Amino acid sequence: MAQVSFANRQVSCKIVYYGPALSGKTTNIEIVHQKVPDNHRGELTSIATEGDRTLFFDFMPLDLGNVAGMNTKFQLYTVPGQVYYNATRKLVLRGADGIVFVADSSPDRFEATIESLENLKENLAEQGVDISKIPLVIQYNKRDVPGAVEISLLQSRLNPRLIPHFEAIASTGQGVMQTLKTLSKLVLDQLNRQYGARSIAGSAVSVQMKEVSLNAKNTSSAGTGKAPSRVDSETEKTIQAVSAVSAATRPTRPAQPRPVRRAAPVKPAASRISPPRSNKKIVRQVRNVSEIQEPTERHIGRALLLLFLIFLLSGGLAVLTWSLF
Amino acid sequence: MDKDQQLRDERLVFYRQDMEKIEAVFQEFLELSGSLCAMLVDKDGHLITQAGHTMSYDPDTISALVAGSFAATCEMARLLGEEEFSLLFHQGKKESIQLALVGDRSLIAIVFDVSTTLGLVRLYSAEMVAKLVDILEKAKKRPQAETLAVNFGAVVDDNLDGVFGG
Repeated sequence: MAQVSFANRQVSCKIVYYGPALSGKTTNIEIVHQKVPDNHRGELTSIATEGDRTLFFDFMPLDLGNVAGMNTKFQLYTVPGQVYYNATRKLVLRGADGIVFVADSSPDRFEATIESLENLKENLAEQGVDISKIPLVIQYNKRDVPGAVEISLLQSRLNPRLIPHFEAIASTGQGVMQTLKTLSKLVLDQLNRQYGARSIAGSAVSVQMKEVSLNAKNTSSAGTGKAPSRVDSETEKTIQAVSAVSAATRPTRPAQPRPVRRAAPVKPAASRISPPRSNKKIVRQVRNVSEIQEPTERHIGRALLLLFLIFLLSGGLAVLTWSLF
Repeated sequence: MDKDQQLRDERLVFYRQDMEKIEAVFQEFLELSGSLCAMLVDKDGHLITQAGHTMSYDPDTISALVAGSFAATCEMARLLGEEEFSLLFHQGKKESIQLALVGDRSLIAIVFDVSTTLGLVRLYSAEMVAKLVDILEKAKKRPQAETLAVNFGAVVDDNLDGVFGG
């Protein structure tokens, strides 16, 4: 289960490599450890037997860096593949946000691979997770083995839903990074759906309104009162985007026309006028509005549109008045 | 399964006010108990926050190991007929670590050395855990007030290319 902390501006997700014994799970993570730049990863920790067979798990933290203001991290785990370590696999699988199923293309491991996928399904179900709902990719590893099982057969037995799949030779690194990259994208897309701007009624608009007020702030001068500029084009785009979001979240409401009462275009100037005082008020009100729960979504939308119009009208009026005098 | 589903539905999202309260509780505990550091980790192995002398430890790895260790002993507890062990203690020659359950979904890992005693750590950690449970319960009930940025999905691609190659 991904951990989100708006306090630390951090997101942390768990990715698990699953598959039958000796399919290449640990090799995958070792290759990732080799190829990812040092500043984007931590050390690889392996809890293994003396024979280098995974006993509990392998673990490596990955740091994707700043993604839209959130420090995004992945924790990569592998599970022990041997059949009698099922209890341990369940522990490691707990809270997984995404899974790479590493299938062994060796013909003598075909049945074990199928059983491992069934085992994954069962272990997830035991934790109340539907395998079809969790981000999952399949890696057909060991494609260089003589007599490797045909992809079409593997697909028919392992991937009837046609989820993303990759051919790989993990020992050489082939296919490893592409597999992880695709799964990472799936995991972050799901996170975005759960925590993104549209996930809470009104919040999408509140986030954009903050950007509007910030843009307006950025266009202000230190009160020099010199020649005004037209409304910042980024602000205008943001306003349009927010209007679109507002309309989208309330499909029964007719689309609002783009406000036309704006400052008349003038020569661009080095300095700009201060934004009208109402901007700050708008942000405060929107912030309060965004904390209101879903049942008042319709009222939030109407209030926000009215605030938009007031903001634009007052801005335009201020510029017009300035230009006249 | 129901409990798992409940934990997923009531996932914790942390805000500045939560972190400030947790860090205040940690600071008070470290001063009273003389411990070296304290880490709050969720059961999935994610580090929530930490305080004290943590520079020598890789926090991500410690968090994963703490969670894994606790999970393994929980299974042992179930075999013995217990729901779970709420407290684990590992003693070292110079430094020791105590793991304690905090609510349903979090663990606290306390590292201390010979300058303090196990009894003192246990005494104050019990109080600290009670305060943390209260903070986390309030955090769980709070409706989500922030969201990821609108362009989060778009920026992700660039970051992934940078880390995994284009």
